[in-house]
Amino acid sequence: MSPAPSVIVSSVSKTFQRAKDLAPVEALKDVSLDLPANSFVTLLGPSGCGKTTLLRMINGLIQPDSGRVLVFGEPPKPGPRIGFVFQSFRLVPWLTVRNNVGFGLSLQGIDKAERNDRVEYYLKLVGLSRFADVYPHELSGGMKQRAALARALATEPEILLMDEPFASLDAQVRELMQMEMMRLWSARRGIVLFVTHSVDEAIIMADRIVLMGPRPGRIVETIEVPLPRPRWNDDIKMQRDYVELRQYLWNRIRDMVVRDPSSDFYVGET
Amino acid sequence: MITLYRLLALALFLFIWWAASFAVGPNLVPTPLSTASAALELMRDGKISEPLLSSLTIYFTGYLLAVIVGIPIGMLMGGIRDLGRTLDIYVSALMATPRVAFIPLIILFLGLGPEAKIAVVFLGAVIPILIGTYSGILNSDAELIEMARSMGATRSQIYWRIMLPGALGFVVMGLRIGATIGLINTVVAELYTAASGLGGLLALYGNTFQMARYFVVVLALALIGGLVSQGLRALEAWSGRWRVTAGN
Repeated sequence: MSPAPSVIVSSVSKTFQRAKDLAPVEALKDVSLDLPANSFVTLLGPSGCGKTTLLRMINGLIQPDSGRVLVFGEPPKPGPRIGFVFQSFRLVPWLTVRNNVGFGLSLQGIDKAERNDRVEYYLKLVGLSRFADVYPHELSGGMKQRAALARALATEPEILLMDEPFASLDAQVRELMQMEMMRLWSARRGIVLFVTHSVDEAIIMADRIVLMGPRPGRIVETIEVPLPRPRWNDDIKMQRDYVELRQYLWNRIRDMVVRDPSSDFYVGET
Repeated sequence: MITLYRLLALALFLFIWWAASFAVGPNLVPTPLSTASAALELMRDGKISEPLLSSLTIYFTGYLLAVIVGIPIGMLMGGIRDLGRTLDIYVSALMATPRVAFIPLIILFLGLGPEAKIAVVFLGAVIPILIGTYSGILNSDAELIEMARSMGATRSQIYWRIMLPGALGFVVMGLRIGATIGLINTVVAELYTAASGLGGLLALYGNTFQMARYFVVVLALALIGGLVSQGLRALEAWSGRWRVTAGN
């Protein structure tokens, strides 16, 4: 008997009301998704397809209008078991890097000695030990995101939700962070649900890609990534499987965008 | 370098003062020198130390009360949204009302003594401090709050660890405005209730054309304002130390 998936999303819908004269937005419509243990899943899709809404729902920050979400068999509650990494880092500016990394632990009331040990460990893991006592504004974008990652990992979550974590980093730093993330994940497995706009990022990181479409936000297709791991040694982007998958996903996304009346690239029904 | 420029500016100011006293005559504007000698004389006679002490006592007592009352009420209004929404229009109305308008009422209740003066200072300083604290909490960073929520923070943890520390800059700004208005109100109270303190001396020397002495009192008030504002600026620098790169 295979174990039940750790995260079950079944026929979830969510509509957001907007200001009076604007039509409500169907952020998610009838979305179902399972995340098995130790899987790395990317949510890929154009803007407005409800990726972030789905992430926030799995964290328990928002509730679905209909359908249900189960995490470890229960409706999700924000807390140490589910880590969240944001695109905008969201480090607390008046706390040092050390105290930012320990933020979740201090919320849980973990005593100082243990907190320090864990913080040291995760600072070292992301390569920020030297910067433990500086304030976030002194860090580069890549270092800020490492700090935010360490903060999320420090509570030792079983699920890590990442909302376009590398989208605001420059191209090189972004690739380095992708490798870093895969190195961390291979050392300490867990469920990662990773939202991205980038086709390359989706393929490189994932066991499975969930392709989403906009208006209403929905799952279009789920694709298993056939590429072997580890993927950071040889240049995987040259491999035939990679090139074909990339081409396929890119065409699907382009089709969705040009057929979406509210996108900038809408060309009408053809 | 800045210190040098400041000294130069001071020298220029003294020169203009001196030139003005020449232009209009030392009976109206005393020279810097005669003001200085008046200052020495007043200090020697002890004519200024007692009013100075009395003004400082009124100022700091009123201001301290304003801090003790303003910050907690601002915190409550920021922490309990409905309470804040209920009260904030009244607080804004009170902010817009010249609070010296309440002086006759205060005299009616508290008389003309130090209690009334302290009340005038308190009333002037408390509103900006309260509003600073309240708006600081209202302006807290929604993204940081969501981050804390996503980690399982309780409402009170969010309040104490995110909203309140984030409001510190606004609180200090309120403290600075409150200090300025408090000092103004100290003098106003001393002029409009039983004349006493530095305000009383202003009235006395001004009305009897002892202009050198009058100028000494004005400068003493400027000195108090400057010192308090420097102190609060230090507090502001401390509260924003995480914004400044180490070594700058």
